[in-house]
Amino acid sequence: MAKGIWVYVEQRDGKVKKVTYELLSGGRKIADALGEELCAVLPGKGVAGLAAELGEYGADKVFVLESDSLENYTTDGYANAVADLAKQNDPTAILMGCTVTGRDLAAQVAQKLGTGLMTDCTEMALENGQLVFTRPIYAGKAFVKASCPEARPAMATIRPNIIAIEKAAKSAEVVSAAANTGDIRQAVKDIALQISSRPELTEADIIVSGGRGMKGPENFAILEELADVLGAAVGASRAAVDAGWVTHSFQVGQTGKTVSPVVYIACGISGAIQHLAGMSTSKCIVAVNKDPEANIFKVADYGIVGDLFEVVPLLKEEFKKILA
Amino acid sequence: MKIVVCMKQTFDTEAKIAVDANGKINKQGVSLIMNPYDEFAVEEALKIKEKSSGEVTVVTVAGPEGQDALRQALAMGADKAVLVDPGMDEIDEFTTASILAKAISEMEYDVLLGGFRAIDDGSAQVAGRVAEILGIPVVNVVTKLEIADGKAVATSEIEGGSQTVEVALPAMFTAQKGLNEPRYPSMKGIMQAKKKPMEKKALGDLGLDAGQVAPKVKAISYFLPSARAAGKIIPGEPADAARDLVKALREEAKVV
Amino acid sequence: MSEPLMIFDEVRDVIVASGGEEIQKCMQCGLCAGSCPWGRMEEKSEFNVRELFHMGRLGYDGYESDDYLFACTTCNQCAVKCPRGIKIPNVVRSMRSVIAETGGIPKNLKAVLGSINSQGNPWSQEKDERTAWTNGLDVPEFTPDKEYLLYVCCTSAYDGRSQKVAKSIVQLLKAAGVSFGIIGNEEKCCGESVRKIGAEEEFGKLAEYNINLFNQKGVKKIITTSPHCLYTFKTEYPEFGGEYEVVHYSELFKQLVSEGKINLSKPVAQKVIYHEPCYLGRHSRVFEAPRELLGKVPELSFMDYKDNQDYSLCCSGGGARIWMETKAGQRFSDVKVKEASEAGAQVIATACPYCIVMLEDALKGQNKDEEMSVKDLSEILVESL
Repeated sequence: MAKGIWVYVEQRDGKVKKVTYELLSGGRKIADALGEELCAVLPGKGVAGLAAELGEYGADKVFVLESDSLENYTTDGYANAVADLAKQNDPTAILMGCTVTGRDLAAQVAQKLGTGLMTDCTEMALENGQLVFTRPIYAGKAFVKASCPEARPAMATIRPNIIAIEKAAKSAEVVSAAANTGDIRQAVKDIALQISSRPELTEADIIVSGGRGMKGPENFAILEELADVLGAAVGASRAAVDAGWVTHSFQVGQTGKTVSPVVYIACGISGAIQHLAGMSTSKCIVAVNKDPEANIFKVADYGIVGDLFEVVPLLKEEFKKILA
Repeated sequence: MKIVVCMKQTFDTEAKIAVDANGKINKQGVSLIMNPYDEFAVEEALKIKEKSSGEVTVVTVAGPEGQDALRQALAMGADKAVLVDPGMDEIDEFTTASILAKAISEMEYDVLLGGFRAIDDGSAQVAGRVAEILGIPVVNVVTKLEIADGKAVATSEIEGGSQTVEVALPAMFTAQKGLNEPRYPSMKGIMQAKKKPMEKKALGDLGLDAGQVAPKVKAISYFLPSARAAGKIIPGEPADAARDLVKALREEAKVV
Repeated sequence: MSEPLMIFDEVRDVIVASGGEEIQKCMQCGLCAGSCPWGRMEEKSEFNVRELFHMGRLGYDGYESDDYLFACTTCNQCAVKCPRGIKIPNVVRSMRSVIAETGGIPKNLKAVLGSINSQGNPWSQEKDERTAWTNGLDVPEFTPDKEYLLYVCCTSAYDGRSQKVAKSIVQLLKAAGVSFGIIGNEEKCCGESVRKIGAEEEFGKLAEYNINLFNQKGVKKIITTSPHCLYTFKTEYPEFGGEYEVVHYSELFKQLVSEGKINLSKPVAQKVIYHEPCYLGRHSRVFEAPRELLGKVPELSFMDYKDNQDYSLCCSGGGARIWMETKAGQRFSDVKVKEASEAGAQVIATACPYCIVMLEDALKGQNKDEEMSVKDLSEILVESL
């Protein structure tokens, strides 16, 4: 019978990603309720040293899959190793972070195990002993609650920053397992990390956007600084693009890019109808504008009537505090 | 070079989502489009074909309405289209991938392409599953692809950057924005598309039955996000307003 | 040697079958392209309507882009000049419809069509908020005893700026004691621009829906706030069985002023230049009413553009261009603002919500929004009440 709630430990260069701790914190509660073990699965090269700290976040057991061929993440290497371990241990569920890697790995492992996978989940709960996941569909315009009732393990990827981290002060049992990486067909030739890369406008979860109220191209720097704190993309209204302050690729609106981020922060944008039509499906709209009559306030969830040159740097400092 | 593209028809980005009387997503009155990420995949397939000659086949798992999106792919320049209508009420990614893989296994292929996700359920796993079933490697979220000498060099997105990966063909690649700029169908392409083959198949035609591809994941319920509350103007001096706004975003709206 | 061009007759046949039969009448004289506003811009555009006809007839490739087939604003200037009397925008529309049927329309327009299908308006706004502009105003609901349906364009229903136009028109109708009402949230977009995108199927659905709604409510006469709605109700809805007496508000107000039911007494001492909406002027032949109304406002100094009436320059918002980007240097609206400024105008008056959007953008783009303003004719009339 299937047993154990597994959490895939995502690490790079010997550093565990925060989402792993979130999953362990969430997984701990599920494991307790089911009376099962919470296991961390840690593939990599030279990662054994990370095992101990995983106990602090609630893991009962850590499977360490050490191999030279796991030095860099590869789809085949990691998927083979994790799926092979799962086949031998038959867990109830496997949780991964919904990151680029987690998404890539989860699909391959799920198919290798012939099981179901729910991706990008924003909620995880136990209902009548069944693990139930909620995930946004149609870009967040609806949600579906789903489960994997029969096939085991039930698999899910969970969005980062959803589950609060709770320390549990366990000392985890560390188990070295054979890393069966199989034939790795993806040869990684080169890795290029950008120090600060802002996401693409249409892909970004958060957008900081400036309009005519920015008064000049040099002032976009304050939006960029705010965007970097938030990991956000920078956008602009047509007026700012027309003024030549930023290029057309930044333009949000019907005649530019239609966007639907989780948070849209409009600074000095009055809210022409084409602009509104291009961003009004954003989940949460924030507006900063001097003019209390500006159209943008009609669609904003939160607004500050004030001088953006004063407000935006203050927002940056406040966000820094909570995101630290 | 034989290229196969896995394609999905989706709701358009402006679709108003509603739940119908049966608790399912209401499909009435919604425009259907080719999944934009699959448009990148079709475009890439056409570019590869133009460089090295060959044939592009587009496959979809859908009801009869899926033909519209296939026709668009044909008008863009694809050579053949295959639609498999599963005729099942509920399917999941396992179902779709199993059907696609079976349909593709009956074809010759060197390169498989698909969008890295669909804009409707955004689950980003069908292409990877298809590759797994067919026993070929996959490279996801590709922004650059070069094919030569039976090999592919793909640039794909990773957290905080990108990597270059080499794989031997056949292999599956999933397209991310930035890979290319999809072409519009030309008037001539539209005319020619009418004469191109479009096969319609049922599960039985592929030697499958509904039991073999039964979904692993079951939807329990669909629901809409709570209605938007009236907008709030945060009062106070700039410093106070900024603090209160960030607090509200974290604690009330729960978006940061 | 370059590759020979292959003639592909079937393309012409399908254009003809889609309602573009007049493409066959074209004799390639080029008067159309010579009068096209695109050719008059500072920065030249690749769009050439004569060449478009040529390529369509012979089935050549290469014109199916945002900046070519979808460049035409359907302003109808070319048709005025055409010696064969071809309704050129109609042929452009039918060519677009062949593309649209296969999902190949410009990306930005897909979102517009999606919004039309889901919400009944092109602005991605909630259909249940169509009457939000009436808040604080007592706007009567249309009932069969009312003489007129006031059909408010989607733009004036949802755009904060344009809502002021809807409000002004209501104020004037009330002042004149006209029997009118609105239907409101049940209405959908008239579909004029939808048809110009080439989305025949969507247009047909909108027309059938609205006709059914109007008939059910007992509508006989319609006042439109936008010339685009006027055009489609008047000239296109009859194809679908919708026969109504349709007027643009300017035509009705002209009559009400002459009957003394609207009294324009307060002076508006400003230099006003009139920008001719293509769909009011060239398409619907309403040239006099707006001029006559402006002429009756005390102390208003009226000016016309050098090129006016049949030769007036479009704002570039028609034919779905309002939802597409035009490069600086190619924007007709910029030229209109420049000419108005050179003529010393303080106000650019017009009578179309699309023109207002385009002209206000141009005004801001040239930083002229402090010295000049764009007003709807109805707003000026209200000032003079």
